[in-house]
Amino acid sequence: MAGTEPRDRPAAAVDYRTLVGDDRVHGSLYHDPAVFDDELEAIFTRGWVFVGHESEVPNPGDWVSRRLGREPVLLTRHRSGAVHVVSNRCSHRGTALCWAAKGSSNRFQCNYHAWTFDLDGTLVAVPYPAGFDKDKDDLGLDRPGQVESYRGFVFANLDGSAGPLSTHLGEGGTGLIDRLCDLSPTGRIDVSRGWIGHKVSSNWKMWPESDNDGYHLNWVHASMVDSSPDTYYNETVLGGETGNQSRAVDWGDGHVELDFRPSYTRALAWLGTTADRVPGYCQALEEARGPERAHRLLWDGPPHALVFPNLFLGEMNLAIIEPVSPTEMVHWHTAVQLEGVDDAFNARLRRQSEAAMGPAAFIVPDDAVTAERIQGALAGARPAWAERGRGWLDVSRGARREQTGPGGERAALVSDETTNRGFWRQYRRVMSSRLTAPSPAGGAA
Amino acid sequence: MTGPTPASTAAGPVCSPEEQREIEAFLYREARLADESRYAEWEALVTDDMHYWVPAGPAVGDPGQTLSYINDNRARLATRIRQLGTGSRHAQTPASVMRRLLTNIEVLTVSDGGATYETTANFVLYELAAQSTHELRVWPGRVRHTLRRVDGELRMAAKVVELVTATLPQPNLAFLL
Repeated sequence: MAGTEPRDRPAAAVDYRTLVGDDRVHGSLYHDPAVFDDELEAIFTRGWVFVGHESEVPNPGDWVSRRLGREPVLLTRHRSGAVHVVSNRCSHRGTALCWAAKGSSNRFQCNYHAWTFDLDGTLVAVPYPAGFDKDKDDLGLDRPGQVESYRGFVFANLDGSAGPLSTHLGEGGTGLIDRLCDLSPTGRIDVSRGWIGHKVSSNWKMWPESDNDGYHLNWVHASMVDSSPDTYYNETVLGGETGNQSRAVDWGDGHVELDFRPSYTRALAWLGTTADRVPGYCQALEEARGPERAHRLLWDGPPHALVFPNLFLGEMNLAIIEPVSPTEMVHWHTAVQLEGVDDAFNARLRRQSEAAMGPAAFIVPDDAVTAERIQGALAGARPAWAERGRGWLDVSRGARREQTGPGGERAALVSDETTNRGFWRQYRRVMSSRLTAPSPAGGAA
Repeated sequence: MTGPTPASTAAGPVCSPEEQREIEAFLYREARLADESRYAEWEALVTDDMHYWVPAGPAVGDPGQTLSYINDNRARLATRIRQLGTGSRHAQTPASVMRRLLTNIEVLTVSDGGATYETTANFVLYELAAQSTHELRVWPGRVRHTLRRVDGELRMAAKVVELVTATLPQPNLAFLL
């Protein structure tokens, strides 16, 4: 990517400080190809993004294929046990090394000239080596500038100049991941049951928004509510703006949550069950955490939150938001499985995941068709219209009743657009700061 | 990629020409009702233990162990159809305009003395996404049915749809495939 090379147009040609207001955003941001290019640079190259989870590569040699912006990468498990992220592109002449979604192998061998790489990207062998004057150590696979993981969640920063992951996640982001992982008696989750890809003809940014929008459920999901009347969404996000106690929370740095905890009136409501139906799980959690902490966890359940920019913690689902083009994206999801819990419990989570998410589920297809309708309607919103007051989208709901919590987080009613504003605040910050100077580290290593 | 089709147990036809015609008529009717989003009539064709499965890869192994696009038991299929019938299932409002071609129909096995049939067929479904992008979406694949006689009439006990593109991300699939 660009790195220290001159960009093919002036930096910050798009005025993000104007197009992203405090309580409105401009529709051109959803379809302008220049904006999309800027996002791949500022957010998906110069910022931290979620790659995958260590449980997807449990054994040495395991790998899964991912895309960070436009860069194809492999998440691998080395014989040492370490997890690596390497470019899925031969360092010789650029051939993709793997073309399946996942696999297992001791080495990666390019089919073009049989260059062979270790699972950490080291070049280990080339045919007829006498013809090369270069050192093999200098010809390994490209690697992101930074790779770090938190509780098994692997993040990468292609550029390498984004600062520590802990700063990107902040207490807000780590707290959200903790609340999910702590539901497992071992503290570890497993997401190895396969990803379902949902292709949507919309800009990717509609998904950080709609996945964490507490205002739309009564209308977009009316058919789900009518046909599945016992859903726990009744007590958490439905029933009018004062019909529940849930909160829309901006934890800062773009990490936002629909916090359902205040609405639950019993343990395990978030699972649509009761403690006596899943005694094995409850007992395992009590033994691991003590009765008091276990009771709290069983009551509160998992977060419903975005870890900026591309990881959705969708209660007992993970989703990856993958930009494809200005008007196309893929919403990948998988079921969270809890380590140390019986398979009947985890099977329940798999079936709930199928019901909630993916192209044929009861919930997300209605978000997808809505996103596609927005995309079509925004096609004519031109950047030049911003000054004339045209083409704006409003995200002002509840701004005046936001309250600041003990950790500095902003919160309002769950139907307020605090989450949307939190996403856009971080977006404006990174889009207006990271593009103005060349990357000090010189792009992806 | 789709999995191998199970071999039929006999070299020649496993059922009579009359049974073959009856089975083909059932499959064509099922296809037409799905094409026309006639949900109640379609649902009347299924047994009480119906399994409707659209895997995200070849239809092999236990669907309970992985995630599928659709993995409906009878109760969940009833919810699916109830949702389509609410009138506010936006992903199918209006319903997609659809026509599918069903070809290469083979009866693979007959068991229980002519009470249960396993069939396979190829299909191509053309869908106009009339509720959003107005694009033509093409869904090629292979469909396998388990048909069972209930009070003398054929019913679906299982429908397994293997999309040619099953391993790729799919657009909205909120209609009856």
